[in-house]
Amino acid sequence: MNQTEEELLLKLSQPKTRNAAFSSLVRTYQERLYWHIRKMVLSHDDSNDILQNAFMKAWNGIDGFRGDSQFSTWLYRIATNETLTFLANKRMRGFSSMDEVEESLLQNLRSDAYFDGNDLQLRLQKAILTLPEKQRLVFNMKYFDDITYEQMESILGTSVGALKASYHYAVKKIEKYFEEEK
Amino acid sequence: MKNKQNILSEKISMELPFTVPENYFEQFALQIDQQIGYKVSNHRFVKSWMYFAAMFVGLFLVGGEMFYSANQRNTAKNSENYESYVLSQVSESTVMDYYVNEPTK
Repeated sequence: MNQTEEELLLKLSQPKTRNAAFSSLVRTYQERLYWHIRKMVLSHDDSNDILQNAFMKAWNGIDGFRGDSQFSTWLYRIATNETLTFLANKRMRGFSSMDEVEESLLQNLRSDAYFDGNDLQLRLQKAILTLPEKQRLVFNMKYFDDITYEQMESILGTSVGALKASYHYAVKKIEKYFEEEK
Repeated sequence: MKNKQNILSEKISMELPFTVPENYFEQFALQIDQQIGYKVSNHRFVKSWMYFAAMFVGLFLVGGEMFYSANQRNTAKNSENYESYVLSQVSESTVMDYYVNEPTK
């Protein structure tokens, strides 16, 4: 943990400086977390709701943060859990199968005013949606953000070996998807 | 890296094809500030207002002091000038007479 994180932790632990410290924490991590969520749920509105919930969870659980991990790891973990909960709830709210959830995400993406990708990018998103949720998480984190397996291990709680295997299978599936599409 | 190249096929950009509304992140941070009861804009406004007020008072005091000193110097200079002017209007003998012969009461 670097000096800045220690200072921030100290400020967060004191009632007088807590709000200002949390406000600066939001400004530091909001973009990274937003894109992390957006890659999973695709829609801007859903990402916005999940990000808000994640920060409010962090705010309410600030006393539980002891500085064992970095703030970024802790916040990524909360955001990931919120995202997976959102997807699970979506499944429970009338979508019987995983495919239906993914199909609805894709429908939302097509109609989302904040999607400006070309056809190829849309097909890549479609291919990514064929992956199981956890594999999708690993693929997005590695492919788009180039997060190290060690960082991913502390965020997702999965061993480096398993993460490497997961990414490898994800890549194979996406390649196969593109080959079959031809 | 090899895998990445396979997927990319030199065609697919690793950039995300998503955008956000204008000023989204600024607005989002303000929204969270509001939810946690942090009045960041107020704090900043009051702070900057106080800085301006302090600066204004400081300038007023320094300016006032400078004006007062300059005024004092001018008054002294004016009275010196007046004395020299009066002396220049009378002859030296008259002045000597004035100092030597005390006026009778």
